[in-house]
Amino acid sequence: MMLSFQVLLPALYTALVTAKTVTYDFNISWITTNPDGLYERPTIGINGQWPIPRIEADVGDRIIVHANNQLGNRTTSLHFHGLYMNGSSQMDGPVGTSQCAIPAGQSLTYDFNITQPGTYWYHAHADGSYPDGLRGPLIINDAEDPYKDQYDEEIVLTLSDWYHSFMPDLISNFINTDNPTGAEPVPDSALMNDTQNLQINVQPGKTYKFRVINMGAFAGQYLWFEGHNISIVEVDGIYTEPTEASMLYITVAQRYSFLLTTQNDTTSNFAIVGSMDQDLFDTVPDGLNPNVTGWLVYNDKEPLPDPTLLDEFDPFDDYTLVPQDGLELYDKVDYSMEMNFYMGNLNDGANYAFINDKTYTMPKVPSLYTALSTGNNATDATIYGSNSNTFILDQGQVAEIVLNSADPGKHPFHLHGHSFQAVWRGAEDDGSYAYNETLPTVPMRRDTFMVNPNSNIVLRFKADNPGVWLFHCHIEWHIDSGLVATLIEAPLALQAQNLVIPQDHLDACKAANRPTSGNAAGNTANYEDLTGENLPPGPIPAGFTTSGIVAMVFSCVAGFLGMAVIIWYGLGEIETQKRKAA
Amino acid sequence: MPDVFAIPVFFICFRETLECSIVISILLAWLKSTIDPDQDKVTYKRLRKQIWLGTFVGLFVCLCIGAGMIGAFYSIGINHWSTTEEIWEGVFSLIASIIISIMGAAILRVSKLQDKWQVKLKKALESKKGSHTGGKRQRFKMWCEKYAMFLLPFITVLREGLEAVVFVGGVGLSLPATSFPLAVVCGLAAGALIGFFIYKGGRFIAIQFFLIASTCVLYLIAAGLFSKAIWSFEANQWNAILGGDTDDIGSGPGSYDIRQSVWHVDCCNPEINGGGGWGIFNALLGWQNSATYGSVIAYNLYWLVVITWFVCMRFKERRGHWPLMKKSKSSAAVEGPAGDASSAEVDDIFGKPSTGSSDLETGNNKIETIEKTREL
Repeated sequence: MMLSFQVLLPALYTALVTAKTVTYDFNISWITTNPDGLYERPTIGINGQWPIPRIEADVGDRIIVHANNQLGNRTTSLHFHGLYMNGSSQMDGPVGTSQCAIPAGQSLTYDFNITQPGTYWYHAHADGSYPDGLRGPLIINDAEDPYKDQYDEEIVLTLSDWYHSFMPDLISNFINTDNPTGAEPVPDSALMNDTQNLQINVQPGKTYKFRVINMGAFAGQYLWFEGHNISIVEVDGIYTEPTEASMLYITVAQRYSFLLTTQNDTTSNFAIVGSMDQDLFDTVPDGLNPNVTGWLVYNDKEPLPDPTLLDEFDPFDDYTLVPQDGLELYDKVDYSMEMNFYMGNLNDGANYAFINDKTYTMPKVPSLYTALSTGNNATDATIYGSNSNTFILDQGQVAEIVLNSADPGKHPFHLHGHSFQAVWRGAEDDGSYAYNETLPTVPMRRDTFMVNPNSNIVLRFKADNPGVWLFHCHIEWHIDSGLVATLIEAPLALQAQNLVIPQDHLDACKAANRPTSGNAAGNTANYEDLTGENLPPGPIPAGFTTSGIVAMVFSCVAGFLGMAVIIWYGLGEIETQKRKAA
Repeated sequence: MPDVFAIPVFFICFRETLECSIVISILLAWLKSTIDPDQDKVTYKRLRKQIWLGTFVGLFVCLCIGAGMIGAFYSIGINHWSTTEEIWEGVFSLIASIIISIMGAAILRVSKLQDKWQVKLKKALESKKGSHTGGKRQRFKMWCEKYAMFLLPFITVLREGLEAVVFVGGVGLSLPATSFPLAVVCGLAAGALIGFFIYKGGRFIAIQFFLIASTCVLYLIAAGLFSKAIWSFEANQWNAILGGDTDDIGSGPGSYDIRQSVWHVDCCNPEINGGGGWGIFNALLGWQNSATYGSVIAYNLYWLVVITWFVCMRFKERRGHWPLMKKSKSSAAVEGPAGDASSAEVDDIFGKPSTGSSDLETGNNKIETIEKTREL
């Protein structure tokens, strides 16, 4: 790893809490890789490396990342998935929300404080490009980890799907007139630690803490360790009561930490299997291997057994977890946001995702810059653009998201800036939330939670983090097709934070010719005037348009005229018959 | 309703039955005028019986052949092609459209059909008596003469019937088997009914009005089929792009190529669940809930061609030559109604009976037969 570690230790031996600054210089550039052994392709790497380096820090640290885009043909950005970014909303990373994309050849610095422990990851949040390689683990170590005495070693394990084609090509084929059903590109293979046939050497009779991250674009993965049970202790940065499980279902963007105690003898090795959820795939191509296998290697002289085939998957239900801190249900909701989501088509014939009948379209001005530059108007949802799916939250409210999915797929929804209480998840085909369910007293919390097909989830959180936060399905294809909402949380309190947008952030916008103030259209005089804002294609006109009416009229006239000629011809025959009769 | 009543099949049966019934009615009328039923009751009845026997035996034989052929089509699995491949539906629609268009005009010219058959039968009945020499051939001839009144309708019905079977086969390949029986029965009944009216005579104008109306319907159907053929080819292309059958998608967005769309309504799909009333609308008028540029242009172009054709035919019947062409010498030489000359020509174009010599020969000997029976 070529990351430069600048560990500043001002009061090294005296202070009880050693808050340090961890600095990374990331040169983001193309590297040729072949992680699945099937296809060699250019991949987005960092400092000439791929897999890209792990970001690691302790609670209380400050992280600085200098991101230098040397891709040449791509813009980029970095999002630090799961970090609350309290007081640094401008460092969150999504393009069009908290920054403009880093243009090729420019640098941009991310600078933020770490206030939370756990397993996270970082990835590009621009143009759907992270599945081209720019995604890696982000681990925050905790001196006060309640389970720190229960394990001997820590192992970071990443899962991912993998495509052989470039994301821009896949996206343009996905959002395309020729793909009206919105069939998502199917991955070409699955990876474990960005490789296949991974061997993890373990010692007998020890307990390991695994931090597992699904860094994929699309496919949730089933994960199991043959011959071993696991004990879940953390999800998405939230410690849980230790909970036994034999198989996990990890959607993209979800993380789990669990303790695994090895067996006492070294006579055999055990398979670790990650299996992509093929329910998500519209068609499963011939020859696709949905599985990736690794091994817990006790003894490298023993064979590595093939995994046993399973009849069915029976994964652990994360809804049943209990947070270790015992935080009780927010039972008084101040603001409930109902989001009804479905897939549909627009006038270009392509398939889009809709929340409350709007498909997300990125505003010209990043929403955070609008919130900061519009004074008291920042509390008016309309100024963020007519297709930004904006909700305004007040400071300190208990907010609730009721997400009703009218889509037959599974969707892992992720909220930036918060972890939320997952207070309800409907079973498959439950339809919309009925508002009469009995909710758990201590609901599980995480930042990415899956909704079942044609069903609903209910999420609650406290609006204690002023900023602009996206809420979206983390399947990359669905971000691209607009399954995104914007939460503007306490905009006036946000303005009062006196955030300074660094010059390099402003320069990124300048390079893209995007305004950095005013409403979504960049209008700084009249915030209600959204003329010139980014808009999606129009709706498909219902029924007959002008051309349809003209065509119909022409066809009718042709038909009647034709029949008139036939009648005229036929009447001529009568003359002949009359003549004959006469 | 398209599942139980194939409209093109109905019209084909109607058309062929009509022609058969014209032949039979001419024969019956001729019989009546030649043999006075009051004087020679036995002979008259015997010959009339022969005519009807010939008719029904011919009908029975070709019904058997027809049923067998259609059964064979379906057992081979043609139905399977048509449901999986839009391209087959397109090809069959195109064939059906062309067949209907070609035979449609003939229905309007009943008088010409009558003229033609009358000329033919007259020629046959009035021609010289054949010289009788011995041998097998002679005995066969004798047999034919004796049963001419049986053979003439038998052969006519058989020929027209087999023609109908071939047409129905061509038109109906894309239709479900259940849609045949009712349409066939109704076609036969309607054709026979019109034939009966013609036989009774005098009501030509009313009949002609009916024929005009049915020809209009026939061409509406053909226009729809032509349009549907193009539509199906396009749908086939779209399915290939999607890599599957759009039937799964229903009739909403994605079931059609929006770039080709002229109009699209999510309702009123004629293809889903049999289409209901929209299916009838589709079969009669070529309705599509999702019209494409191709299908609309095809529909209008079809009518343009039909209109031009009819105008030209009428022109030729009136003036004796095609529009924009000089009067040819032969047609100029024809005296009297120019229509006679042209009608024969038009009939030849459409492959209507320029019947084989066996027919004529059978006819030739009829007069002898009749004479013989009188002698008896």
